[in-house]
Amino acid sequence: MRSLRLLSGAVLITWLVLPLIPLAIWSFARGWRFPDLLPRDWTLAAWSYALSGTSGVLASLGLTLGIAAAATAASIVIGVPAGRALGLYRFRGKTLVQLMILAPAIVPGIASVLGLHGLFLALGLTNTVTGVILVHLIPTLPYMILVMAGVFANFDTRIEDQARSLGASPVQVFRYVTLPAILPGIIVGGLFAFLISWSQYILTLVIGGGRVTTLPLLLFTFATSGRNDVTGAIGMIYILPGILILALTARRITGRSGAIAGVGRA
Amino acid sequence: MTTRSFGLLAAMLALAPMAHADTADGDALLSMSWDQIVAEARGGTVNWFMWGGADNINRYVSEDIGGRLRSEYGITLNRVGISDTVEAVNIVLGEKEAGVTDKGSVDMIWINGENFFTMKQAGLAFCGYTGLLPNNALVNWENPAIANDFGVPVDGCEVPWSTAQFAFAHDSAVMPEPPRSIPDLIAWVKANPGQFTYPAPPDFNGSAFVRHVFYHAAGGAENLLGPFDKARYDAAAAKTWAILNEIEPFLWREGQTYPTSITQLNELYANGEVGLTFNYGAAEFGVAVQNGIFPETTRSFGLTDGTIANTNYTIVPFNSPNKAAALVLQNLLLSGEAQYTKARPEIWGADPAIEIDRTTPEIQAQFAAIETHPAAVPAAELAKAALPELQADWIAAIEKGWIENVGQ
Amino acid sequence: MSDRWKILLLLAPAMLIIGVLFFGALATGLVRSFNYMPVLGLTEPSLEAYAAVFSSPAFGRSLLLSLHIALTSTLLSALIALWAAVLLRQSFPGRRIATFLFQLNLTVPHIVGAIGILYLFSQSGAFARLAHATSLIARPAEFPALVFDPYAIGIILQYVWKEVPFIGLILLANMQAIGDDYESAARSMGASRWQAFRHVLLPMLMPGLLSASILVFAFAFGAYEIPAILGASFPQALPVLAYKSFTDVDLAARPEAMAMAMVIAGISAVMILAYLRLTRRGAR
Repeated sequence: MRSLRLLSGAVLITWLVLPLIPLAIWSFARGWRFPDLLPRDWTLAAWSYALSGTSGVLASLGLTLGIAAAATAASIVIGVPAGRALGLYRFRGKTLVQLMILAPAIVPGIASVLGLHGLFLALGLTNTVTGVILVHLIPTLPYMILVMAGVFANFDTRIEDQARSLGASPVQVFRYVTLPAILPGIIVGGLFAFLISWSQYILTLVIGGGRVTTLPLLLFTFATSGRNDVTGAIGMIYILPGILILALTARRITGRSGAIAGVGRA
Repeated sequence: MTTRSFGLLAAMLALAPMAHADTADGDALLSMSWDQIVAEARGGTVNWFMWGGADNINRYVSEDIGGRLRSEYGITLNRVGISDTVEAVNIVLGEKEAGVTDKGSVDMIWINGENFFTMKQAGLAFCGYTGLLPNNALVNWENPAIANDFGVPVDGCEVPWSTAQFAFAHDSAVMPEPPRSIPDLIAWVKANPGQFTYPAPPDFNGSAFVRHVFYHAAGGAENLLGPFDKARYDAAAAKTWAILNEIEPFLWREGQTYPTSITQLNELYANGEVGLTFNYGAAEFGVAVQNGIFPETTRSFGLTDGTIANTNYTIVPFNSPNKAAALVLQNLLLSGEAQYTKARPEIWGADPAIEIDRTTPEIQAQFAAIETHPAAVPAAELAKAALPELQADWIAAIEKGWIENVGQ
Repeated sequence: MSDRWKILLLLAPAMLIIGVLFFGALATGLVRSFNYMPVLGLTEPSLEAYAAVFSSPAFGRSLLLSLHIALTSTLLSALIALWAAVLLRQSFPGRRIATFLFQLNLTVPHIVGAIGILYLFSQSGAFARLAHATSLIARPAEFPALVFDPYAIGIILQYVWKEVPFIGLILLANMQAIGDDYESAARSMGASRWQAFRHVLLPMLMPGLLSASILVFAFAFGAYEIPAILGASFPQALPVLAYKSFTDVDLAARPEAMAMAMVIAGISAVMILAYLRLTRRGAR
């Protein structure tokens, strides 16, 4: 039984890292043709290109990070109050509100973004960073709200009342009472929002019109032009920030907050 | 965390469009002298949309051209890499649709063929200025292959950048003697099952390959020139689909699927899955060998019945707010120096769109000293049997017909 | 301030964003799908685009392909995720690494996964080379066609790779919330390990599993870049077909793109209702 478990674990671990291995090898390869198991020549050429100013990879990394951070921040600012309303109160039309908030998380981007393009064009928001951040809110906001609704459902408002009765200002109540209690949820929801924005391709392509060149767009261009070495290097650069952020927040995801379970609940 | 992120958000918003010298008014430019245009262009930015999948081309444009543009003219070059030129055409089209007439986001596009046809048809191009560029004198507009882009008269709506001729490549170590005409190729495909395929049109190169078969079926390109003719099309198309369907079972994966891009075909060739690949411009093969993608023993060739040649151009959209800067860039691209650098095989290997004998003696000597990569058949040799491109509506019909009769 | 106003204020920004951006976008798409685009001179609403879309054989094949991709990916991901989550709850050497990789995988963008799957499973990819090294195949063509294939195997493999950790983490979180007590009680009353899982744990996990599966289904049904990288030339996944019509230089194809977008939205609407029903039952 134990050896079976071990074997299953080994299979799982292998399967999880496997697709990243050829990508990493390609980034150091100078040509790597069938049937060679490993490249015959190794080189840093792809990395030196990817890290050069010409390729724009680093600028694009900064842009992608900035857009994801902005979309996350906006999702938090807008999503926390909405999550509070849904988590703490019962009111008429709540089901409808939940439905409206849930819809953008499920309806694929391609379905809404083609129409949105017409709308944004009229508003002058196409091909701008602002437009891209706004369109990223469509998929990020619902996750944020859903997670926060789950957090507030287990939140006891009496500790806020107590703090207030002790003379705390609304800002102080939020800063010292509410925020610490909901912070784990904000981090999980924020992480979701960040990753969703970070991985976004079609929304950025259609609204950014190629002008807002985030990393996935750059990666797609090289992946579809046969430069597997450059693709490998950009791919590696693209997954690094996610790993770093995960390393910083990993404990929260599996931690006792259980906020992630909220994704399974409306 | 929130306040800091808000600061970031504000910073991002500030990154959005910046105002600079606005030269959206094309008519005003047309009445200016070149020196005035250069003065107007200073401090501007050119957003040049171009296919971004080749690091050597990106490097040439960003470093070489971008560097000179900045140091000599004070203009910033923003190379916008896209995976398909139609994306850029679509932006301009969308902007026209929404009434954006002077604040367009595209200042220049690397373009030809169907996309040029669309831009010209829909009135998306800034036209009539090419005579203003000093280096226009190096261009031979008498040459019909320059004056017509896929059979559509250029009419001063774009500026030639490079010329290219379709060529095939094979691994001389595997197949010393490749088929050198369409009939030989068809016989070879049938004799070597699984060794050949072509990207599904509308892929640019796949579509060009199908046109070679179409020319063969029509008994030569001369029967197809001029505006679209339904009767002539139908006759040649029926034969073409018959040929392509006949060889389909002998293609890679029994023709049940086709590569979706030239990249996939190149990958198949590099790994020895198929025996032949092809491309617009033999220089690509040399670059692929240099990058270690293709085998060292790769060699390329044209067909005895000829291969299609065309010219690619740069175009300025009607609503570009940086027209003056774009014109200065176009002029720089046409210069003998820039055309020579671009033609060097270790830089790019793209054939010039200017008449070399109109350049200075130094440039002429430099061009004469260029040694093409052994994997790339010299342009002069290919040019011995060059075929013209068809007009865009022919090409659209062939692509649509292929999808309906062969691809599905 | 009354609760009514408080709720309204709390919800207003979110509803404004979702209402304008998302529902505004759908409304625009809907209007345009009826061939109503005054800027293009189309002022007579009609069902032409839908007629063109539904009568084209390519659309039917694409719709079927996308449904197949979504359904197969979801089923496989859900089953493997359930197995993996149960495994990860138990202790074994390497459990920590596996749990970490689970989370790591969540951060890897789909497009990177798609390229990785391509390099791994193509006919000249890593597995084909291994097969060659072990003399199983002599030429790439002898390796089974797993990418660019008409059955979308490569696309499904990428979704399974990405979504197993997604569903798995939700299950793990649910398991943590449920705790061991119920199962222990069942075991102490003589239930076998399997029975305790089948009749006690699984029913409690079901709502979470199903709602996560619906999210996966909707994603796999509507994603563009994965089939664009791993798909065959024909049939194409529905989102690829829709985007191609959208970028067609022939503007007449735009209403058809919008009509396809509406079909995708309509199918997702069914998913939303299913999600609501499931979570509603599970939460109470």
